[in-house]
Amino acid sequence: MASGPLSLGVDTGGTFTDIVQIDAGGAVTVDKAFSTPSAPEDGAIESLAGLARNTQRPVDAVLGATARFAHGTTVSTNALIQRSGARVGLIATRGFEDTLVIGRGPVGRVGGLPHAKAMDFLHTEPPAPLVSRRLVRGVGERVTAEGEILAPLDREEAGEAVRALVEAGAESLAVCLLWSFLVPDHEETIRQVAAGIAPGLPVFLSSEIAPRIGEYERMVTTAVAAHVGPATTRYIGKLQDRLADDGLRHPIQVMTAAGGTTLPDGAARAAVSVVNSGPVGGLVAARHLGRALGIGNVITADMGGTSFDVGLISRGAIEHTGTPFLDQGLPVLTRSARIDTLGAGGGSIAVSDGFRLRVGPESAGADPGPAAYGRGGEYPTVTDALVVLGIVDPGRFFGGRYRLDPGLAEAAIERHVARPLSLDAADAAAGIVEVVNGRMSDLIRKVTIETGNDPREFALFAYGGACGAHCADLAMRLGIGRVIVPYGAAVFSALGIALSDIVYAHTLSAPVGLDDEDAARRVARESLDALAGRAEADLAASGFMPGDAAIRYSVEMRYRGQMNEITLDLPEGGAEPGLADRLRRAFRSVYEQRYGASAVRASAGLEIVSLGVEASVVADIPAFAERPSPEAGPGPARRRRIHRRGAAPLDAEIHDFDTLDAGAAIAGPAVIERDMTTIWVPPAALATVDRLGNIEIAPEGRR
Amino acid sequence: MTATVDPIAFEVLKHRLWQINDEQSAAIKTISASPIVVEGNDFNTGLFTAGGEVVIAGIGSVVHVTTMGDTLRSIIRRAGRIRDGDVFLTNDPFMGALHQNDVVMASPVFVDGETFMWIGNVLHHPDVGGIDEGSFCINARTIYQDPPRYFLKIVDEGEPSPEVEHTFVTNSRLPDMVLLDLGAQIGAIERARRRIDTLLAEQGAATVRAVMEGAIDTAEAQIRAAIADLPEGSWTGNAWMDGDRVGSDGIHRVALRLSKEGETLHFDFTGSSPQVDAAVNSTYPATVGGAAVPLFSFLCQGDIDWNEGLRRCMRVTAPEGTVVNARFPAPVSISTVGFRWLVTVATAEAVARMFASSERFRDRVCPSWNSSSNCNNVFATTPDGRRVGALLSDHRGSGGGARSFADGFDHAGTITSFASSMGNVEGTEWKLPVLYVYRRCIPDSGGAGMYRGGLTAEIALVPHGTDALVLKSTNTAGTDQTNAHGIAGGYPGAGSQTSVVRSARVRELIRSGAAPCSPGEFGGEIVHLASKDEAVLGPDDALVFYPAGGGGYGDPLDRDPDSVAADAAEGQVSRDRARGQYGVALAADGSVDRAETGALRDAMRAARGEGKTEAGWAPGTTIESPGAHRIGEHLESVACDGGRTLRCTRCGHRLAGGDGRAILRRRPLGAAGPLRALRWGGDSPNFALEEIICPGCATLHEVREIRIDESIEREART
Repeated sequence: MASGPLSLGVDTGGTFTDIVQIDAGGAVTVDKAFSTPSAPEDGAIESLAGLARNTQRPVDAVLGATARFAHGTTVSTNALIQRSGARVGLIATRGFEDTLVIGRGPVGRVGGLPHAKAMDFLHTEPPAPLVSRRLVRGVGERVTAEGEILAPLDREEAGEAVRALVEAGAESLAVCLLWSFLVPDHEETIRQVAAGIAPGLPVFLSSEIAPRIGEYERMVTTAVAAHVGPATTRYIGKLQDRLADDGLRHPIQVMTAAGGTTLPDGAARAAVSVVNSGPVGGLVAARHLGRALGIGNVITADMGGTSFDVGLISRGAIEHTGTPFLDQGLPVLTRSARIDTLGAGGGSIAVSDGFRLRVGPESAGADPGPAAYGRGGEYPTVTDALVVLGIVDPGRFFGGRYRLDPGLAEAAIERHVARPLSLDAADAAAGIVEVVNGRMSDLIRKVTIETGNDPREFALFAYGGACGAHCADLAMRLGIGRVIVPYGAAVFSALGIALSDIVYAHTLSAPVGLDDEDAARRVARESLDALAGRAEADLAASGFMPGDAAIRYSVEMRYRGQMNEITLDLPEGGAEPGLADRLRRAFRSVYEQRYGASAVRASAGLEIVSLGVEASVVADIPAFAERPSPEAGPGPARRRRIHRRGAAPLDAEIHDFDTLDAGAAIAGPAVIERDMTTIWVPPAALATVDRLGNIEIAPEGRR
Repeated sequence: MTATVDPIAFEVLKHRLWQINDEQSAAIKTISASPIVVEGNDFNTGLFTAGGEVVIAGIGSVVHVTTMGDTLRSIIRRAGRIRDGDVFLTNDPFMGALHQNDVVMASPVFVDGETFMWIGNVLHHPDVGGIDEGSFCINARTIYQDPPRYFLKIVDEGEPSPEVEHTFVTNSRLPDMVLLDLGAQIGAIERARRRIDTLLAEQGAATVRAVMEGAIDTAEAQIRAAIADLPEGSWTGNAWMDGDRVGSDGIHRVALRLSKEGETLHFDFTGSSPQVDAAVNSTYPATVGGAAVPLFSFLCQGDIDWNEGLRRCMRVTAPEGTVVNARFPAPVSISTVGFRWLVTVATAEAVARMFASSERFRDRVCPSWNSSSNCNNVFATTPDGRRVGALLSDHRGSGGGARSFADGFDHAGTITSFASSMGNVEGTEWKLPVLYVYRRCIPDSGGAGMYRGGLTAEIALVPHGTDALVLKSTNTAGTDQTNAHGIAGGYPGAGSQTSVVRSARVRELIRSGAAPCSPGEFGGEIVHLASKDEAVLGPDDALVFYPAGGGGYGDPLDRDPDSVAADAAEGQVSRDRARGQYGVALAADGSVDRAETGALRDAMRAARGEGKTEAGWAPGTTIESPGAHRIGEHLESVACDGGRTLRCTRCGHRLAGGDGRAILRRRPLGAAGPLRALRWGGDSPNFALEEIICPGCATLHEVREIRIDESIEREART
């Protein structure tokens, strides 16, 4: 029986709400409930009830023993995608009211779309606007690039703008003025003015939400926060109240895309970062599991029904990106874990025009789903191909929850792929899997190479319902020697959420050339002090002492004139003498690693663009407990013929994961069937089960 | 020895090549310091066969796709010894570069001692010398006043040549940026080379060669199949240039007849103007590249790869000695935003007419898109003595033409690249000594139509931290006629204009919190510049400019009145225009007054029908397939008595051919909206609008800009 203190992670997904409990002994217990999109807190509470039943304790006892309750929510994401959040009023510098509408030209229309869609110029419909043109007001103020106030803000004019927006129906106010990250005074005045006019109106200032250079992205970020922030805060409050009623004694922690959690009082400010945070849980879990296994370099591969997501952990650190697109046309200035996505999943549709074989990005989704579901799916999918090849057992798909019809799968492949390309259906099925594996391995190559890494120096962690059938093949294509299918793969995001640290991250643009060393040092010093002050305030507001947190300092630099920066750690956080030389050396070293020696230009000037401070309160998590030995021993041996293209079929052993004990070694060709996934072990590979219940595959292990 | 590859391996390996080439693009975008590269996407990358055919082109500008191949073949032809590890550099438009700023680098990959393939890229450098800042040489009269043309080996068998690098960099006004751009180009090639080597070791050269050849063959087969589906016929396109260099307002024309020839397309530019003593001329490869653009952008749709396959389906006739095939030593440094741009404008119009004649392709009709590249280079010396300068990116706020099923995109970017974007105001103010006054969307700048053309943006800025901001304005065209064609009765969008306001009170107004929102509020003297012009802006001067809007599709009286009301509510169409051009009356609350709208539209149709009918209207579409063919929204081409007539599908009236007659109504350019022929107050002595109206039902079937000089007008009509 579990004993406290417990860590709970609850991850609301599209279909299921997953819950993970880690007890003081490191034992992991999981459960699932159906998600309840109209009131997501119901699904979360239901998952908790399920877990309590599972562990034979009342809910209030579980919550009473819980030291951390961390939550990944889709409330912000859904509000954004459906544009169902608050009606936003926007105040901008006069003359720049159309910044969102103009959208930097095509950035606001095709930014964030996959290339293949953006290349179809005439069918790139713009996304629904975040702010109606009728709800934008300009104010006659101006700050220059040097931080000089050219035109002071007139309070009266600001008041008129606020009043006009409220009268026009604004439920939330976003303020984004030019150069406000250098001089936030005018934005702060508008907040004071608004508080006097409309006391309950939530106000979001760009100088707080995203104090970084680039007014379009800063305005988008602020408008997104104003749109989804109120709904996020409301939801978190509601869930917090219900959990407190049921015995939870701590504030819940909310997962962010940065790879840590934030506390409820920071949720409005962090709402942008709450969007799309779900998949990041998997990265945190992978980092944690990597530590347990002594693996610092990890590529994460998460393949579900519609998409394939790749993340990277290099020397124990999650790779980040600075300007992710939340959705079509919406680049935001939030530091987020880098996740590269491809429209390739079990439901991805395969089709040929007689010239080429295309797989994805269109997906059959859950409805109608793959042709084999028998729900009217006309087109064959990757899952159909796996059924025809014999890798997926039509009677055991998704733990037997769906019965698949192999005849329908074969007919669809015959019609849409085999016949146009003059192949037989089995070869066409193998072709579909090869093409999708090719695409996925190309994406992994891209992610590793663009970060200056070599995939052969990484282990591949494969999770998500569809990844097990592909991961060994991906590793072989990439020369990766070690694949891990984690024990907790089915609830990996929830596991990561339960494991996440509390992270407060702040960045600030303070562009300055490195040539004038004194100026650079002064600007860096002032900026870092200001940022550290904000992080300390966050900590204090959440009841932590400064000593409770680990602080990291960073600086973003580039050659003068460039438009992309490189982030460097500042080990002592200092801006002490010798800073410029140290930064030059560090920049050169990272630059050379990423872009090659030929790209280094020693004579070109460098500039600091932004600085960052990150304070993390590290979660105290025990080591994972060993997986208990299975109750049932292996049943009678099962075998299946697996089709291959251009070679004789294979006779593969079929294993039930629930009967495999630690130390089990399975030589390919073999299939390991688990509740939520099917793992393919190719002929040359060797799969072993470790004491934690992870399956490790050595792709060439039999050689 | 040719290996064969099955369709599965082909798909997998071709994508691998695509990814390798995309890594080149990623490297360039990360390393380059040129906004025109990183934000404007004015670069491209490619993998090529041993003979220099483009196998895979990157996601940069499509105008570079065919020219990269032409340049590669020139390099192969003219190089001395080609050795493993060499990197060649050329920017010579007579070798295939679009203009001198576009620096091509290429490097062979050797297998068994022979060239197996090439890796290459092209990138627009911000300044490569020549008489004018930014190297769009608006003052050049011969190529010797243009920037130098290079053909160099910048890396020799793996050894970078500092002498060559120095020579190239030292001729630039922006040596730091050019140095980074050279590094970006070489770094990109090196990155791709490492990955190609791995691929060759894994797959073998024969397989990779088969995939490369297959990639071109497949695209070619896909394009041939598409062309075969078009009706037999020909389609015309037109574009005019108003002003070719500083001090010359000469008017010149690009004329195109595009014909289907079996499974290929013939682009015939016969009738285009003689070449000029100004740097706007286009070389033959640039013209081919410009003609290919609308097909890459509108036909390929992400299904057909961008490579040499399209080129194999194109035949291009461009008489030597004309603006579309300039003879040495004509200056050409503006080509890409000069006549190459207008080749694309004329081709976009012809291609739109071609697609409008096909049921299968009608969803790809788009008559214009960023018709003028209103390029403004600004240069200055900062207080700390550094020379800075750049091409402002704001012209990418231009509008796209309307489509046959929906409005055009507002602020669409360019037709040559889906990712060609505007920089942030803050990013530009950080780099350049300027202060923006506004950047705003202009109402009524999209051409009226059943579907409205996309809106464009207007930009105003003043010098900031310098007493002398040098302006070199290279505006393709549009200070007179717009070239922002509409189709099927849609009106042209806004033209393209750069203006300087002298002795303006802008700074004072900003300081007082009353920042002005239109040049009329600046309180100075507005000088509308010619399309190629220069100026030095002092502390009290302001720069204002807007690029073209998009043309409309279909008769504006057929636009859904509620869409007009929505446009008016959002400030995209003024109430005046809603009434005057769309015939929509709006109530005080902004909703449609249906009764009055009906009456208004009836009256407007009646007024249209009052014009005299004429015979001899020659539309831009000629169909030769048998039977009846729909060629426009309400227009069909019908075979009869051995000839063909054009018939209105609404009322059956014969508009042309046989005894067909149409109403041809001539109006000033300004009838299309504000910001048309701004220099002429909307009424140009050189151009006019001609509306083609059905005498039977008063439907507006076509609106076009015509040259007023009668002798030329005759020609423009055919």
